[in-house]
Amino acid sequence: MVDNGEHILVIDDEEVIRSGCQHILESSGYNVDLADNGQTGLDMIMKNDYDLVLTDIMMPEMDGMQLLEELQNLEKEVVTIVITGYASIESAIDAGRKGAFDYIPKPFNPDEILARVERGLQQAKHLQEVRRLREERDRNLLEISNERARTLTIINSMSEGVIATNRQKQVVLMNPAAIKMLRIKRRRVIGQTVDKILRMPDLVNTINEKLEKVTETLKTTKLEFDTPDERVLQASITPILDEKKACIGTVTVLFDITKEKQVEQMKSDFVSHVSHELKAPLGAIEGYLDLVLDGITANDPQKEREVIEKSRNRAQSLSHLINDLLDLSRVDRRSPAKEMEPVQLDGILKETIEFYKSKAEEKSIKLSSSISSDLPSIRGNEQDLNRLFANLVSNAIKYTPENGTVKVKLKQINSHIRVKVSDTGIGIPEDVRDKIFDEFYRTDNALKKKISGTGLGLSIARKIAEEHQGYIEVESNVNEGSTFSVTFPILKSST
Amino acid sequence: MAQKILLVDDDADFIEINESVLKAYGFETESATTSEEAMQKLRQGSFDLAIVDLMMEDLDSGFNITYAIRDDENLRELPILMLTSAPKKTGFNLNFPEGKEWMKVDDFAEKPLKPAQLVERVKKLLQKNN
Repeated sequence: MVDNGEHILVIDDEEVIRSGCQHILESSGYNVDLADNGQTGLDMIMKNDYDLVLTDIMMPEMDGMQLLEELQNLEKEVVTIVITGYASIESAIDAGRKGAFDYIPKPFNPDEILARVERGLQQAKHLQEVRRLREERDRNLLEISNERARTLTIINSMSEGVIATNRQKQVVLMNPAAIKMLRIKRRRVIGQTVDKILRMPDLVNTINEKLEKVTETLKTTKLEFDTPDERVLQASITPILDEKKACIGTVTVLFDITKEKQVEQMKSDFVSHVSHELKAPLGAIEGYLDLVLDGITANDPQKEREVIEKSRNRAQSLSHLINDLLDLSRVDRRSPAKEMEPVQLDGILKETIEFYKSKAEEKSIKLSSSISSDLPSIRGNEQDLNRLFANLVSNAIKYTPENGTVKVKLKQINSHIRVKVSDTGIGIPEDVRDKIFDEFYRTDNALKKKISGTGLGLSIARKIAEEHQGYIEVESNVNEGSTFSVTFPILKSST
Repeated sequence: MAQKILLVDDDADFIEINESVLKAYGFETESATTSEEAMQKLRQGSFDLAIVDLMMEDLDSGFNITYAIRDDENLRELPILMLTSAPKKTGFNLNFPEGKEWMKVDDFAEKPLKPAQLVERVKKLLQKNN
C-alpha cells in the first residue's frame, strides 16, 4: 500500500458510506478522517489542512450546502467534492456555485470515486501553487514598496545633497540637504529643468554635458564651486546609463567642503608663516657667519665678537620659537590620554613667581603677589598650567619698562577661580585686543620697541585656558598697563 | 665718490650684515626699517640703489615701496634689488617670463645671499644704470 500522504476528510451521516469510502481510499494509500455531520466536518476542516473533502449533501445538523457556504464565508480554500443521492443537474450546479469542485452521484463504484478524488487532488495542487505564487507576488510587492520607502528615507536623511535628473534635464529627485546647500527657496523643484533651479553655471553645464555626450562608461565628474554666500561645494556628477549604455539621466552628489577648505587654508598659512619665521633667524645666522668666514670682520676683533654674539642670540630665539611651536602642537593634540587631575593653583603660581623673580630684578620691576591658599582644586594638567602662567608673567615683565610693577593675584569667585596678572607696561590698543591671541600676531608697538617674541605665547595661553574649560580676558590702557585674567571652573567634588 | 645704497629691512640683523659687506667693498650705506622711513630717506638723499626686503612686518609693504619708487618722478629710475626669505613654495613666482614684469624691480634674490654674490649683483645693477 502506497502512502500518498494526502489527507482526505469524508463527511456523511450514513455509516456504510463513510466506511465504504474509507476502505476504498485507504487501500489506495490516502489518509482518511471521518465526520458524521456538517458541523463536525467544518470544525475538523478549520483545525486540519485537508487536501480534499468528500461530503454528503443531505445530513442532520449542517447539510452539505450549508457547509459549502460556511467555507466560502470563512474564506477557507479546500477542494470539495459532493456525494449526492439525487444526481440531478440542479443540485450539481447549485453545489458548484457554492464552491464545490465536482460531484459523485450515489450509488458509486470504487473506480469512479478514485478517479474523481485523483482529479480533485490535482486541483488542490493547482490551487496550492496558485496560492503560493500569489503570496510570493504580494510579498515581493510589499518588499518593493518597503525598499522604495527605505531608499527614499536614506536619501532624505543624508547630509550630502542628492539631485537626480532625467534625460530632459528635469529634476526628478532633490533631497532636503541639496535644497539647503543650494539655498533653494522655490517650493516645487521636481519637474523643473536644472538651469531654472540651479544658479551654478558650472554645475548645470556639467549635467548637460553628461546628458548630451554618449558616454561609454560610468564616468564621474568632480567639480568645486563657490556659492554666492562664500561657501565651497563639491559636486560629483555621474550619468545613469540604460542597458544599451545610453545616458538616461544624472545623479549629482553635493558635499559642503567649506570647513575643510578653511582648515586647509589655515594650515597652509600657518606652514608658510612658520617657514618664514624659521628662515629669517637662520638666514641671519648664516649671514653673520659669512661675515666672519669671508674675512669681512677680520681686522676688527671687537666687531667679530659682536657678530658671533648676535648670531648666538638669533639661534637662541630660534630655539624659543621651536619650543613654542612644540608647545602649540602639544596643546593642540587633545589626546584623551593627557593627564588631567585635581590641581591646586597656588603652588603652581608661587613656583612661577619664584622662577621669574631674577628676570624682574634685572629690570628693577617689582614682582608682587596676593595668592589665597587653601582654595578648591581645579581639574587640570600641571605642566600646561605652568606654561600658561609662565607665558603671562614673562609677557608682563617683557612689556613693562624698568621700575614698573607686575602683580599676580589668585582668588575664588563663586564657583570659579581666577588668576590675574597685571602690569604697568606699554599696554595694548583697543583695536588689536582681539588679535593678540592669534598665532604669530605681534602689536606694532612691540615691533617698534624691538621687544623679542615669537607671537605664539598668548595663543598657547588661550588654548591651555580653553582646554581647562576656562577663558582668558584682557583689560588694557595704552602706556598704563594690561591685566590678563584667566578663569577656571572649580572641580565639583572639591567644593 | 662712493656709491650710496639704501637698505630696507625690518630685521636689523640683515641690515647689519649687508651693511658690513657693502661697506667692506667700499659702498656707502644707509638703512630704513619701515616703508615710510625708506621713502623719506630716498626723497631726501641721492641713492644709487635700493635693496628692499619683500616681507616686511606686513606682507605687502615690500611691494608697496617698489610701487612708490616707480610712481615718484625723481626716483623712477632707481635700481631696486629685492630680497626675500619667502620659500619658493609659498607661490611667489620669482622667475617671470621676459617682458612680464608685474613687480617693478630690477633683480631678485633669496636671503641669505653670500657676500660675494651680493656685491656682484649690486655691481651689475649699478653698471646697468650708468
